[in-house]
Amino acid sequence: MIPASFEYHAPKTLEEALRLVQRHGDEAKLLAGGHSLLPLMKLRLAAPRYVIDIGHLRGMSYIREENGQIAIGALTTHAEIESSPLLAAKCPLLSETAAQIGDVQVRNRGTIGGSLAHADPGADYPAAILALDAEIIAANTSGTRTIPARDFFVDMLTTQLQPGEILTQIRIAPRRPLSGTAYEKLHQPASGFAIVGVAANVLLGKGGKSIEQAAIGITGLAAKAFRAEAVEHALTGKAISEKVIEDASRNAAQGVEPLSDLHASGEYRREMARVFTRRALARAIDLARKGPARGSA
Amino acid sequence: MKLAGTASLPAPPDEVWSLLTDASRLSRLLPGCERLEPDGPDRYKAAVKFGIAAISGKYAGTLEFAEKKPPHSLVLKMDGKGLPGFVKGEGRIQLAAKGNETELTYTGEAQVGGLIASVGQRMIDAAARKIVRQFFDSAKAELASAKNAAAESASQPKSRAKGK
Amino acid sequence: MTTRYIGKPLKRKEDPRLIQGIGHYVDDLSLSGMHYAAFLRSPYAHAKIRSVDLSKARHASGVVLALSGADIDGAIQAVPCAAQIPDMKAAARPVLARDRVRFVGEAVAVVVASDRYAARDALDLIEVDYEALTPIVNPEKAIAKGAAPLHAGHKDNVAFKWELEGGDLKAAFQSADKVIKQRIVNQRLIPVPIETRGVLADYKPGEGQLTVWSSTQIPHLLRTQIASMLNFPETLVRVVTPEVGGGFGTKLNVYPEEALVAYLAIQLGKPVKWIESRRENFQATIHGRDQIDDLEVAIKRDGTVLGLRCRVIADLGAYYQLLTPLIPTLTGLMMTGCYKIPAARMEITGVFTNKMATDAYRGAGRPEATYLIERVMDLVAVELKKDPIEVRRKNFPQPKDFPYATPTGLIYDSGDYQKALDVALKVADYKKLRQEQAKLRKEGRYTGIGISTYVEICGMGPSSAMPAGGWESATVRVEPTGGVSVMTGSSPHGQGQETTFAQLGADILGIDPSQVQVVHGDTSIVPYGIGTFGSRATAVGGTAVYKSLQKVKEKLAQIAAHLVGSDPERMVFADGKISAKESPKKSVAFGQAVSAAYVAKTLPADMEPGLEATTFFEPSNFTYPFGTHICVVEIDAETGDVKLVRYVAVDDCGNVINPLLVEGQVQGGIVQSVGQALLEEAVYDEQGQLITGELMDYALPRATDMCWIETERTVTPTPVNPMGVKGVGEAGTIAATPALAGAVADALAPFGIHHVDMPFKREKIWHLLQKGNGRTQ
Repeated sequence: MIPASFEYHAPKTLEEALRLVQRHGDEAKLLAGGHSLLPLMKLRLAAPRYVIDIGHLRGMSYIREENGQIAIGALTTHAEIESSPLLAAKCPLLSETAAQIGDVQVRNRGTIGGSLAHADPGADYPAAILALDAEIIAANTSGTRTIPARDFFVDMLTTQLQPGEILTQIRIAPRRPLSGTAYEKLHQPASGFAIVGVAANVLLGKGGKSIEQAAIGITGLAAKAFRAEAVEHALTGKAISEKVIEDASRNAAQGVEPLSDLHASGEYRREMARVFTRRALARAIDLARKGPARGSA
Repeated sequence: MKLAGTASLPAPPDEVWSLLTDASRLSRLLPGCERLEPDGPDRYKAAVKFGIAAISGKYAGTLEFAEKKPPHSLVLKMDGKGLPGFVKGEGRIQLAAKGNETELTYTGEAQVGGLIASVGQRMIDAAARKIVRQFFDSAKAELASAKNAAAESASQPKSRAKGK
Repeated sequence: MTTRYIGKPLKRKEDPRLIQGIGHYVDDLSLSGMHYAAFLRSPYAHAKIRSVDLSKARHASGVVLALSGADIDGAIQAVPCAAQIPDMKAAARPVLARDRVRFVGEAVAVVVASDRYAARDALDLIEVDYEALTPIVNPEKAIAKGAAPLHAGHKDNVAFKWELEGGDLKAAFQSADKVIKQRIVNQRLIPVPIETRGVLADYKPGEGQLTVWSSTQIPHLLRTQIASMLNFPETLVRVVTPEVGGGFGTKLNVYPEEALVAYLAIQLGKPVKWIESRRENFQATIHGRDQIDDLEVAIKRDGTVLGLRCRVIADLGAYYQLLTPLIPTLTGLMMTGCYKIPAARMEITGVFTNKMATDAYRGAGRPEATYLIERVMDLVAVELKKDPIEVRRKNFPQPKDFPYATPTGLIYDSGDYQKALDVALKVADYKKLRQEQAKLRKEGRYTGIGISTYVEICGMGPSSAMPAGGWESATVRVEPTGGVSVMTGSSPHGQGQETTFAQLGADILGIDPSQVQVVHGDTSIVPYGIGTFGSRATAVGGTAVYKSLQKVKEKLAQIAAHLVGSDPERMVFADGKISAKESPKKSVAFGQAVSAAYVAKTLPADMEPGLEATTFFEPSNFTYPFGTHICVVEIDAETGDVKLVRYVAVDDCGNVINPLLVEGQVQGGIVQSVGQALLEEAVYDEQGQLITGELMDYALPRATDMCWIETERTVTPTPVNPMGVKGVGEAGTIAATPALAGAVADALAPFGIHHVDMPFKREKIWHLLQKGNGRTQ
C-alpha cells in the first residue's frame, strides 16, 4: 500500500527527461500513466530510487497522419486511442484493442508508450502492435532509432529498450482496402489481463475469396507476445473457408512454451489460443469482405 | 513449483563438473549473484540481487552441494530470504557425456513464500524459467571462453606464456 | 397506526452524505498528535520464532515504539472466542505471536511512528529469525493418522466434534428405495468489504478515558472485550463506530489489532491509528465458508426424502476468532431446509490448519446448509428422472404445518413455500424456459436452469442460543423541541436503519421521518446493544425501537388526552397532531404535548415528567424468511465460460418497512453468491501461502458480470415480533449459490455431469467438457 521512498523528478522537456534516465540508469523508472508502475511500487515489488515523471511532457500525446503513416505519441492514453475517429477509420484494430484494456479508470490514465515499454505478458497492445507490423521509435540523448515491433518484445517485462532510452512514438501503416482486423481476448476476471489475446490482421486477395496475407499477434499465451507464423503460413494464398481457418488456428501455440499459473494452465491456454485465433480470424475476414463502410467492431 | 529440463553444454562432463562446483566461477553464472562465500564444506553464503525489469529484490541465503557423485550427478540446495519473500529449492543435476559435450538433465522443486507468493503468482513460473535459461546461457559462455582461453594459451610459444 | 411511511420506498437518509464523500470513516478521522501503527506479519504459514530484533526499527527516523510478542507478554489477553462447543480444544491467538506463527499474515511485531510512511518503512528494518516448520494445509490430511498437531498440548488437529441427530435415521435408511451419496465442497472465500479494517485509539491520561474508533459491527461487545483484554475499566472505555464501508460479518469480531492499537495509545499517551491494507485484509481478516460435506440421502421411489446424513469437515484455520466454531453448527441446524424430512444427522469435525480463521461471512453457515440440501434435491431428481420442481413440491410442508418443528430442533415460525415457488415459476415462465432449452440443445447450445427453494434462520436470536445474548436495545427520547431521538443498540453499517427506524417513528407518532434522528454506534450515547449481524437489525433491533416508540406514544396519548379532556385509549397520532378519535377537533399539536412533558405543569397526576423509554427486547424465536430463486445460464462449450442469462428471485421476508432497502439487500446478496459460484476462491498453496493475495488475483463479481435480477416478494408475516418482519440481509446470499450450481449442472447434464463444485471457473468446466469429449447422452 505504501511505496518505499523515492526521489521524484518531473522534467519539463524530453531532453531533460533523457538526461535524467541516462544519468540514473537502472535506478530510475519512468512514470507515464502510472497504472503499471504505481501498483508495483505500492506492493513494494518495485522500489526505484528515482521516479521520472514524463506524464506532463507536452507534445507527446497525439494521433495524426504523417508521411503516409499513422503516428501516435507515446503518452496518448488508451481512452484517446479507443475513441479516435482517425484510428476508427484507418486503424480500427488499435482502437478495438485499447477498448478492451483493463477498465475505464485504467484507460483514462494508461498510455500506449508506458504499456508497451512495460511489456506485461498479459497486456493487450503487444498483440495488435505485432499484427500491424508497427514501428516503435525510441529516443536517447544522441538521437532516435526505429525498432520494428517484431524485434521489440524480448521476454517477460523485457523489451529492446536500452537504459537511457524513452519510447516516444508508435508508427503504423493505415489499413489497406480488402483488409480486416479483429482482437479477441479471454480475460482474467480479476485483473482484466489477457489470459490469451489474439489480434488478426488479414488482407484478402482481389475478389475477396482468398487470403493474400495474414498477420496474427498473440499475447498472454507466453512470456512475451509473438507472431503466430505457423498460422500465417497456413493461411497465405488459401481460399477462404471455415476449414482453412480452423486448420490454420490449430498452429496458434506452435513453438512457444505457454505460461501456467493459478488462473490458467498451459494446456488450457494453448487450447484457448486456438479458439481465439479462429474467432479473431473469422471476424477479421468477415470485416474484410464487408469493407470499411461497416466500420470496426 | 517444479522445473525440469535438459541443456547441452560445450564441454565434457569433467569440465562442467568443475565449473558447477567452483564457487568463484559459479557465482558468475547465478543471475544477480553479488557474493558467494564458503561457509563450511560444500556450503556457501550467498547474496543475490534478482529481478525482471522494475521488479527486483535482494536475497541473502545459503547454497549447498549434496550427494556429490563426480562427474555424474549432484544435488543443489538453496535457501534465500529477502524483503520480497523467501525461496527454498532443491535441484538434482545429472551429467552425461555426449561426444565432447555434456547433456545436463535437471529436475527441481522450489517453494516460494512471502510477498512474491501472494502477489506474483503469474510471474513465478516464468521467472524461474528465465533464471534457469540465464544460468545455462552464462554456463555456455563461460565454458566456451574457458575453452578459447585454453586454446589460446596452448597455441602460445612457451616462453611467452611464461612471461605472463 | 397510519402507514404513511412504513412499506414505502423512501430514499435513504444515509445516502447524501455517503455519495458526496462527506461521511466519516475511520481513515477520515484525524486527531492532534496522531501516530500511525504498522504490523509486521509472518511470511511463513508455520514456523518457530527464534528471535525478533527490533533495534534497527526502533532507531529509524520517526519511530516512537516497536513491540514484539515478548514485549507485551501478559499485558494483553488472547483474542476472545465467544462460541462454546462441548469439549472444544483451546486455540486462542495471542495478539502478537510469541514463539510460533501458524498462518501467513499472523502479526509478529508492531511499530508506531509519526507518519504512516515511516511506520511502513520501519517494518523492513525488523529482523525475525524464523525456523520454518512443515505447514498443514489440507484439512483431511490435518486429521489423518500421524499428522503433527499445530497446537502444543493437543494430540491432533481436531478442534471439536459436534453432532446433531433427530428422528429415526436408522428406519429412514432401512426403508429407503435408494440411497444417494455425494461429496460437496463449499470453498473458502475472502469476504472483501470495500473498506478494510481500521482502528483509531485515543487515551487521555488525566481523565483515564480510552476512546476507540473501529470499523466494527459490534461496538458494545468490542468495548467489553477491549476492557477485558487490557484489564481496563469498561466504564472508562468508549467505542465509536464511524461509517463502515461494509462488514458482511468480517467486522462482527474482535481482532488483535483492536486491542493492540488501544494498548499502544495508552502506552504512548498519544492517539494511534492503524488502517489495514488490502493484502492484510486478505491474510488476516476472517475468511468465509470452507466445508467439505459428505452426504447420504435415503429416498423413496416417489421422491419422498426419508432421511439425510452428513459428515462435515470444517477447516477452521489455525486459531479461533469470535464465533469460529459456531458457524458450521448453524449448517447442521438448517440442513433439512424447507422440506419435511423426518430424520437427519450431522457430524462436524472442526479442523485446525495453517490458515486464517474462518468465521461469520454473510449467511454464516446457512448458505452451506441451503447449498447442500438443494444440491441433494437436484440429485434426487436426476436419480429418479423427475423434474426438480416436483421433487421439491413433494417434500414441502404445508402452511397448516406451521409452526413447523424440524428434526434438528428448530421451529420454523411461518411459511408458504408453495406460494413462493408458484410465483417464481410464473415470473420465469418455467415451461417456456424448458422449451427454449430443448430447442437450444438441438442447436448444440448448452443452457441450464437451476432452482433454489430455501428457508433460512435469522433475526438472531433467542439469547439461550446466542453466545453473547441475542436481545437488542432501543431508547426513544422525544426532545423538548419535538424531534425524536432513537438510540439503537443496533449498529447499522449499510443496512439503512437511519431511514427505516425513522419510518417507524414517523408512522407510530404521526410525524415526519425528517423529525426522527436515529443514533447508533457510540457506546457513550446508546444503550448497551448486541450489534448488527445475522439479519437482526430490523427483526430484533427494530422491535426494540417499535416497543420504545409505543411506550412513548402511550405516554403522549395520556398527556394529550389530559390536555383536551379525552380518553387516552382513543387518541389518534397523525399529521403532527394528537387528536381524539371520535372528536378530531379535540386535538393538540404533537409539539404541544411534548412540551407539556418537560415543562411539567399540566401533567396527569402521578406521571413522571420527561419523554423517554428504553426497551431491551428478547426475541422468543428466530425468524425464517424463505423463497424461490430460478437461474438460467449458458455455457460456452469452447471456453467453459458460464454466462448468466436470467435470474428470478422471489423472497418472503415477512412484512416490509422499506421495499427499496429489501430490494438492495436481495440484489447485493445474490451478487455476492454469484461471486462464490463463478469467480471466487481463497487459495492456499501447499506451503500455506495465500496465493490469491490481492484483488488482481481474486475476482469479484462486477455489474458487467450480472444479468438483470427480476425480484418479487410474497408476504408471510412472522408471529415472532409485532411488526411481522423477518429479516433479509443474508437471504439473497443463502438462496443463490444452489440456483447457480443447479443451473450449471443442468447445462452439463447432456454430458452426464450432475454436480460440479464451486467456483465454476472456465477451465474447470472446460476440463469436464473435454473429459466428456462432447459426447452427449
